[in-house]
Amino acid sequence: MTDVVEFRKATKAFAGNAAVRDVDFTLRQGEVHALLGENGAGKSTLTKVLAGLYPLTSGEMLIDGKPVSFSSPGDAMKHGIAMVFQETNLIPSMNVAQNIFLGEESFFNRLRGVNIKAQQHLQRLNFHVEPTALVSTLGAAKKQMVEIARAVHHNARIFIFDEPTATLTPEEKQHFFALVERLKGEGASIIFISHALEEALSIADRISVLRDGALIVTDEARNLTREKIVQAMVGRQLTDALYGDAAKRVARAPREKVLTLENVSMGKAVRSATLSVFAGQVTGLFGLVGAGRTEMMKIAAGVLKRDFFHGGRITLRGEVVRFRVPRQAVRRGVAYITEDRKLDGLFDTMGIAQNVFLGKLAKGSNPVSVIGLNEARRQSAEWIETMKVRSIGANARLVELSGGNQQKVVIAKSLIQAPSLIIFDEPTRGVDVGAIAEIHQIIERLADAGAGVVVISSYLPEILNLSDRILVARQGRIVEEMTIDEASEEKIMYAAVH
Amino acid sequence: MSGAVAQGNQAQLSGLLKSQEGIVLVLAVLAFVLFSLLLPSFFSPGNILALIRSVSILGILALGMALVVIARGIDVSMIATMVVSVSWAFVIARSGYSLEFALLVGALFAVVAGVLIGVLIAFGEVAPIFATLAAGSVIYGLGRTFFFTLEMQNVPPDAGWFSLIGQGRILGVPVTVVVFGVLCLALHLVLSRTRFGWQTYAMGNNPGAARITGISNRPMIVAQYAISALVAYGAGLVLASSASAINARLFNSTMIYDILLVVVLGGIGLNGGHGKVRNVILGTIFVGILLNGMTIMNIPYTIQNLVKGVVLLLAIVIDSLVNPRDEQTSQQGDL
Repeated sequence: MTDVVEFRKATKAFAGNAAVRDVDFTLRQGEVHALLGENGAGKSTLTKVLAGLYPLTSGEMLIDGKPVSFSSPGDAMKHGIAMVFQETNLIPSMNVAQNIFLGEESFFNRLRGVNIKAQQHLQRLNFHVEPTALVSTLGAAKKQMVEIARAVHHNARIFIFDEPTATLTPEEKQHFFALVERLKGEGASIIFISHALEEALSIADRISVLRDGALIVTDEARNLTREKIVQAMVGRQLTDALYGDAAKRVARAPREKVLTLENVSMGKAVRSATLSVFAGQVTGLFGLVGAGRTEMMKIAAGVLKRDFFHGGRITLRGEVVRFRVPRQAVRRGVAYITEDRKLDGLFDTMGIAQNVFLGKLAKGSNPVSVIGLNEARRQSAEWIETMKVRSIGANARLVELSGGNQQKVVIAKSLIQAPSLIIFDEPTRGVDVGAIAEIHQIIERLADAGAGVVVISSYLPEILNLSDRILVARQGRIVEEMTIDEASEEKIMYAAVH
Repeated sequence: MSGAVAQGNQAQLSGLLKSQEGIVLVLAVLAFVLFSLLLPSFFSPGNILALIRSVSILGILALGMALVVIARGIDVSMIATMVVSVSWAFVIARSGYSLEFALLVGALFAVVAGVLIGVLIAFGEVAPIFATLAAGSVIYGLGRTFFFTLEMQNVPPDAGWFSLIGQGRILGVPVTVVVFGVLCLALHLVLSRTRFGWQTYAMGNNPGAARITGISNRPMIVAQYAISALVAYGAGLVLASSASAINARLFNSTMIYDILLVVVLGGIGLNGGHGKVRNVILGTIFVGILLNGMTIMNIPYTIQNLVKGVVLLLAIVIDSLVNPRDEQTSQQGDL
């Protein structure tokens, strides 16, 4: 078989931090190649290079044996490369047909003509999507079909799927896998990024595992097992330390109730969710994308507002509350640590010490108070020390730090406020493996010290390793509650999808 | 030994040329030297003093603008607030009230205008550029319709102490310059040493993170626009005192662009989140040298505007190159 894509010593660095490092990777004609790895392993970065979103820092990329470098996604598309993202890149206010022909419209267009052409195209692919339907009315699986139809229409022959199954129901997944088989049958080559090992094992011809930006293993799927892959993904010695034996752990006993949500609703995202959080233990909150878990906690922390009518009741330490802004929650000891630190977690061009001390400042009330610079420096330094933030100095700007260190700063910024309820939303997303263990330790210590801790995660081993009690969210509600002794990956996943 | 020193100096120099601040400083020094050599009347104590004095008002206005820009806003209503509040104060003073009372009313008007604009931006969530653009027209229109009819409002007679602001000297330094200096120091202390200052940087840097951290963004925005309006009023008083009158036509002049020129040129990024008082001072001095030099060279007004426009454009381009906010830097988090 010939290689349609080849990376030679491919390296991509952001601000000096290599996200992908010396990777040699090949994609053969007509194969399904699964790309596995933890969050932040570099899977997305590698494929984004192939899709023309980033240029390589060093190394070579070859298409059909010829070295290429893309300056834009359009360039990649001309070489027949199509990337289907987790969040699809469709225009919701246009219909299916318009989306399929997006970018290839003729000068004058007749909607009817476009609809008919799209209909023919969809029929040829055997996709059951109505070409006149508005994209905003479609479900996740149908949107994916439209995106694939569009890519096929653009003569794509190399497909990249980034976590295609994360938002799909089991039934839709089967459709998707059939679709992949069909594309493969027509000679397309497919890169398939996933978290789910079983899927990769069953659908892929070959599997590659990335860890910390380096390619650990590439092999035929039939030569690999679940254990081998996990070992490659996390590294032997780390598996035990990080996602150790959940069964051996003793669950912490719940102390007093800190937070209660009763029938809390917000639009379509949260529908009558009811849950409690207790002091002195870690409550794990699991759910697939779109289950509303982040929204529930954001409501509790005042970041989002629940519905004014029939929005339910929130009780914080026995007192009914309705926060309009996060500040009110912060002043009552609630800290929400964001899942997207770049978006709303850190002040990227400010120094570490300043970032941390801003947390302290935000909790105070006097707006004109004068800051003692030495005191600020001392307190920040203490937290930088406690959190083991590694950098060249307290004045290093946040953009210069690695993902793990950035995350530690964001956590320190919240912990300096001495909160009694701490909500971690995906605390180890995009964090290097070394820092994961340290962040987990911090979370454990907080619970031991008697704080109420919530950990939202879409990574099951993390939930199982940290939680004393596990809540599972689906379609805006809490559908299952279990203690760590009752929990297993299968049970949680079952609750999350059914 | 001397080689090492020279090398150190060289490193310092190349470091200087990498930041916008450094580039502007070097340009300012170059322009100063060039004008001093080429224009015999430029490097005279009288002209230098006139230069600093004339540019002080621009500098004061730029301090107010800088505060707003650091918080990721912009206030193009400053000139309107300035001319209307000062003119109205003068009208009141001439209609029989004491000057002190009139000035207080003017200040109150400016603050109220600033607060309303701030509320519009903070709670109405209108983009600052549009909110202040529209508010500027409204304020000016209100003023011309209800408060005063003449474009030119003279300083009321027998305003002894008031005229000292624009014309007096303290230890040989014009009071105008002293006022600019004091305000610089005040803003510097506020930005670097108070909770308000730190949180202003945080807001400009990442409003979302500021909100989640527990900073009250909205009251802060209101306060920032109120302060910038008050600063505009102060600048108006200094201006009126030194010219013995205030001309409402300033609203239609290019003054607001000169303020932006000072702020952007000095190196306060329009993206918000950074910039210090020294950037304002630097920008003020450079623009001052530029304007003064061009005036001495007798360059026509329209060409001066062209030069200012080109410099502003260059400054904005350099700003976006030095402080990039593109996809790659913003996506570091989700590798």
